[in-house]
Amino acid sequence: MTRVHEVIAFDSVGFRYPDDTAWLVEDLSFSIQAGERVVMTGPSGCGKSTILYLINRLYPENCDGELKGHITIFGRHALEYAPGEVNHRVATVFQDPDSQFCMRTVEEELAFTLENLRTPRSEMDGKIADVLRLTELTEFRDAVIQQLSGGEKQRIALACALIMEPEILLLDEPLSHLDPLSARSFVCLLDRLQQERGFTVVAIEHRLDLWGRFFNRELELQGQPQLSGIKKRTPSIRKESALRVEKLCTSTFLQQASFTLQKGEVAVLAGQNGSGKSTMLKALAGLVPAKGTVAPKTLGYVPQSPEFLFVSKTVEEEIAYGGGQKSREIMEAMQLEQVAGSHPFAVSHGQKRRVAIAAMLNDGRDVILMDEPTSGQDAVSLQELSRLIDERAREGTAFLIVTHDMEFAYAIADRILLMKDGSLTGAFQADDVWREPKLLEAHRLLAPKGAMEYEASFA
Amino acid sequence: MKQALHKMNPSVKFLIITVCMLTLAFFFNPWTPLICWGGVILLQLCFSTIDWKKWLLFMIPFLIMSFGYFWTTIVFAEDRTGAVVWSVFQYDITRTQLDHALSLSFRVLAFAGLSLLFAFTTDPTKFILSLMQQLKLSPKIAYSILVGYQFLPVMKEEFVHIQQAHRLRGAVRDRNAIVRLWNVRRLLLPMLAGAVRKAERSAFAMEARGFTGEKRVEFYQVVRVGKNDVVMSALFIFILAAGCAITLK
Repeated sequence: MTRVHEVIAFDSVGFRYPDDTAWLVEDLSFSIQAGERVVMTGPSGCGKSTILYLINRLYPENCDGELKGHITIFGRHALEYAPGEVNHRVATVFQDPDSQFCMRTVEEELAFTLENLRTPRSEMDGKIADVLRLTELTEFRDAVIQQLSGGEKQRIALACALIMEPEILLLDEPLSHLDPLSARSFVCLLDRLQQERGFTVVAIEHRLDLWGRFFNRELELQGQPQLSGIKKRTPSIRKESALRVEKLCTSTFLQQASFTLQKGEVAVLAGQNGSGKSTMLKALAGLVPAKGTVAPKTLGYVPQSPEFLFVSKTVEEEIAYGGGQKSREIMEAMQLEQVAGSHPFAVSHGQKRRVAIAAMLNDGRDVILMDEPTSGQDAVSLQELSRLIDERAREGTAFLIVTHDMEFAYAIADRILLMKDGSLTGAFQADDVWREPKLLEAHRLLAPKGAMEYEASFA
Repeated sequence: MKQALHKMNPSVKFLIITVCMLTLAFFFNPWTPLICWGGVILLQLCFSTIDWKKWLLFMIPFLIMSFGYFWTTIVFAEDRTGAVVWSVFQYDITRTQLDHALSLSFRVLAFAGLSLLFAFTTDPTKFILSLMQQLKLSPKIAYSILVGYQFLPVMKEEFVHIQQAHRLRGAVRDRNAIVRLWNVRRLLLPMLAGAVRKAERSAFAMEARGFTGEKRVEFYQVVRVGKNDVVMSALFIFILAAGCAITLK
């Protein structure tokens, strides 16, 4: 694949959803050559995913959207391809590791792809073995997909894409659910495979730090507000204690843990997938049976999907649900008055999170536990989240936040609590942790920025 | 040998069990269903490795149902002709009454036995694959069922998450079971919202991998019809025939 030729060309392309009046994408032109590694960046809602779906022909057929302009794929007009035809040459890895598989085991999943391509049965076994060797997944051949970790699932999704021997590989924020080391090993693998196979890579991604020097071109969509990362907040710790935890443990997994939080403190709970962070939060919130003391007893808890908490028909009722008297004041402080009458499911994701926190505060829960609020969020919404946390911490609320995003942790955390195999291995001042690569490595974390120097493996 | 029922082609098994059930529906006497029920249990004893404790547990509701049929038919019988065979508390039970009651209750057991045999000896994935290969079920439907099947554990997990979150909000469990059931609707909304999103993502992922729902020619896992199926089907038919023959004397 040393020939250089144009594989994708957009010529003043516009696209809008059937119910919208405004064009989501307008007058977009670019072209991509074979073997390039291109990344598209832009805030959420700017149409990044839409462009990806226009390339693999999921759109416009699946959403009845309106398309104008010309899209040329492999030198042929995109609309001339029969359904599914272009998908034999363009493979896609999606963002969510949990909803891109349809069979039980890895082998069956790979076979599903080959059946779709009408590969003769005699060749299937060899192809499956080859792609598993290539992606270093041979031992997972008979594994049940649902039981694997997020990082392993994404590697399998990559294997499913590569078994098609695609000429173009599309990646839809493939790292957003992975812990930092899993993410980096995914990028390393992709780097090696691309060099061996020479396919074209087109990715959408809003966080480029984990990719290192992988991409050789960036397409920026729409004037993105210049975000040079989230501004590091100044600590707002007060002298009063907000949370005291002594010898908290569950009968099966969580080992005894003790720590305290001060009012206005923001602490991040970090560790690899499956180290017990979510269990810890649930034990603290009293959602799973646990021994030990937690004072005060009632803590606020915001799950990754804040809508899991919602039980009412309007935002206002939602906040007042627990019987707190200050709903008006809190709504005002949290800038939720404009949506007071809306259904809590109908507001934006950022607002849902605000509603959840407001409801917790109104219930008199002054310590907020947040489970993975950063996962799958773009730069704008991360900035909004950090502003929200900072705002509330200044009012004296204490936060304990589970996150994989070390850039985010670096910007907001006063302290870092580390977990491994179900036990709390220590609570450290945030600034100290980043200087100890060994400690971070042991917890499958990566230091932000400074320590993110890319090694020779990326060259 | 012990695995013969498990190894049977699911479509063949499905068809033969359907035939058995339809035939049973035309025979109204206590012996035919009783023989079939006994035969089905015997088949499972000889040719399957099922968990009998679980089997018994699943049989309980059918036993209750069958007993219900039995006594209601006796008490509320219309046709009270024939010789009296039994007297309980000065209530006479005639031959016809008893025959009708036993026919109905054994029929329930025979149907339950056949269904449980199928459920306990069939792998759901293999059943779907076989429906696609032997009975020409459209891949569109077959794969939707398979994907749905993968979602079940995820949905269950999500249900627990939402329940926990609601408990945190102070949504107490009501004592009244009906109120509790009515309150489940609050859990369903977030689950439904999540499910719709997941379904769309899965559909996209399938299509991006070249799935168009067309009939496929090559299968990786071929589900075959073989000698074992012929032998087992013959056994089923033999049991059925034995059950039917008894009435012809």
